[in-house]
Amino acid sequence: MENILLKKNTAFWIITILVLFVLSIILGIIMRLNQGAIIHLSAVTFYTDMTTHGLTMIGIWFVAGMAGINFIMERYVRTSYLANLLALIFTIAGIVMLWASTLVGNFHAGWTFLYPLPFKIMWSAWATPLFLFSLTAFGVGWLIWCLSLVTALLKKYSIPQVFAWQHFKKNPKVETPPFVLISMISLVGIITCLIAAVVLLVLLFSEYYSNGSFMNDALLLKNLTYFFGHTLANEMLYLGLAILYELFSEISGQPKWKTTWYVALAWNFTLIFILTAFFHHLYMDFVQPEGFQIIGQIASYSASLPAAGVTVFSVIVSVFRKKVNWSLSNLLFFIGVVGWVIGGIGAVIDATISNNFVLHNTLWVPAHFHTYNALGNVLFSLAFFYWFSKHYTNSKTNDRFSTLKLLFIVVGGIGFLLAFYVGGADSIPRRYSDYPEAFTSAKMLATIGAAFASVYLIGIFILFVNISNRCLKILFSRS
Amino acid sequence: MFKNFIFSFLIFVISCTGFVQSQTPDWNEETNIYESISNVPLKLINGKEIFLHQLAAEKPLIVALIFTRCTGVCSPLLFQLMENLQNISSGKDNQYSVLVISFDPFDSLKDMRLMAQRIELDNNQQWQFAITDSINRLNASVGFYPVWNDEIKQFDHDALLVGVNSDGYITKKLIGLRNEKEIRLLISSINNVFSPTYRLPNPNNLFSCFNYDPATGKNTPGLGLIFIALPAVISFSLVIGIRFWVKRKAFR
Repeated sequence: MENILLKKNTAFWIITILVLFVLSIILGIIMRLNQGAIIHLSAVTFYTDMTTHGLTMIGIWFVAGMAGINFIMERYVRTSYLANLLALIFTIAGIVMLWASTLVGNFHAGWTFLYPLPFKIMWSAWATPLFLFSLTAFGVGWLIWCLSLVTALLKKYSIPQVFAWQHFKKNPKVETPPFVLISMISLVGIITCLIAAVVLLVLLFSEYYSNGSFMNDALLLKNLTYFFGHTLANEMLYLGLAILYELFSEISGQPKWKTTWYVALAWNFTLIFILTAFFHHLYMDFVQPEGFQIIGQIASYSASLPAAGVTVFSVIVSVFRKKVNWSLSNLLFFIGVVGWVIGGIGAVIDATISNNFVLHNTLWVPAHFHTYNALGNVLFSLAFFYWFSKHYTNSKTNDRFSTLKLLFIVVGGIGFLLAFYVGGADSIPRRYSDYPEAFTSAKMLATIGAAFASVYLIGIFILFVNISNRCLKILFSRS
Repeated sequence: MFKNFIFSFLIFVISCTGFVQSQTPDWNEETNIYESISNVPLKLINGKEIFLHQLAAEKPLIVALIFTRCTGVCSPLLFQLMENLQNISSGKDNQYSVLVISFDPFDSLKDMRLMAQRIELDNNQQWQFAITDSINRLNASVGFYPVWNDEIKQFDHDALLVGVNSDGYITKKLIGLRNEKEIRLLISSINNVFSPTYRLPNPNNLFSCFNYDPATGKNTPGLGLIFIALPAVISFSLVIGIRFWVKRKAFR
């Protein structure tokens, strides 16, 4: 457990993630200020910011979850330090290439880079291959990392054990810890979506370097893009939940959570159904057969609702009329679950075909995914970061102003998200750099959103300073 | 294992791309779509002089490019169009005028008037016959390039219909003699009404999810669908493979 190198690496991950997080929030606030007509950016600058913001956020909160589960997994199995280090190197290389392609090369096809946008060169010609190479760097580093963690788990647990199938019977002889189960479920999903990304990148590179002799199918590439993008965005949340299942009870001073048949069943549902839930991104693509759309809706419900149900139940049971040692970490976990559930409900509403006709590509979409990220997944990872930084600097004292920090994050987050939700319900489209006058409330909502996001940023910045200071101590300590 | 997979996949893709033809497809119907048609001045056979965009603003246009001395496809093009339009009733989303323009600089208004009389359309309000002194500009804006054949004293040209909406944008092009269904789609497009379409067959596109057969109107599953299923299959195979590998290693 006390693997010094892993501890230092984790500290470095945390500092890197927090620095990039603060910068990405600033990019987000700039975009909302531009939509509110408070500042004026050219459309190219806006979409460049949007591409950088989107991909950086997805990337950093994915690696945040991975760094967390890698660190905690050492409690159960021996993990590879080399794979962790390689992932760090590839991630940093990928980030540098990504930011160069967007901020220097002006690549601005959005974080989904939907085909054929990357090939409609409206930026420096070198930016398209550099962008694709940045994704390749992420893909290679992350795939190696995931495969090494899966290998570590499979050295100790058989396939039925790692998926907790023995819990479907009464009195199982071997117990699979919930952390191991959820980590494995998430890692398999992540490997699958990273392989989808590999296929996608090979097809994109093939077209780019074929000089017109090879062309891609737009429907295939859109399916692959969302197979990768949607699945990754969901799985990174589950990584945060794996950490919650492990640490929430521990920090609260309660017995460890155990895997039961319904926990095993819910998470196995997630494993199967999350891989086809991405079809809900193609509801408006009339060429996609109707059967796929129906699968998309059923899978969206089946992947999220059982897992959400058992997690919420477990959290409520452990706090209701129980003595809980509340600290900033488990408060962040608790609020994160609330944010995840609210965002999840928003997502399920949008994933329902009849609603999607109204909500598709409106501000409802950023509303729901910002909810389960900014007030869900981010808080899970911050809870881990906070716990880690305190635990390994032997800091016994409670941080001052914990309530104030939380208040900034929660009030700022809610205000920021409400501006999105109200806009979505008012059919305001997303991804507009400037809103025409026809959308009467759009500019005002964008300005309100930016103001609240700034409050959220203050809370995050204070936490960033606290956590980073402690992580720097861990990084430069001798033990 | 991962490296081997990537390597095998790259070899597969590169070898597949080696078989495909190197020339780009000849998609004349796909060119110039959503571009503005040149706003050329027109002289109509009723004596009116008007710019093309002004005419389109009155009603969306089906533009037919012909010449009066044509012994080839021009007359069949117009007759086929007349026949198809007779079966299409006019409605709110079905507004259109047909603009027949000569692309032969030697055609005069008199020639066009005679042609309209010959096919009994000179008094039909939905049909306009016109000439322009800026035909090259118009041709270039719709991607129409007739070639004069001195031997037969005729132009070698496509039978082209161009759909232009009321803002002067080209929304659809049809080349050749087309059926009523396709004329309906053309009229829908110039009225800005959404119509589902299908991708044109292209030999350079190897991995389509579905292959559309215009003859039967049916989609059949394509190779691309395998790519959607492939990641899950590989991933689960990897899990099983890794487990066997670590077990065997531990056993040794």
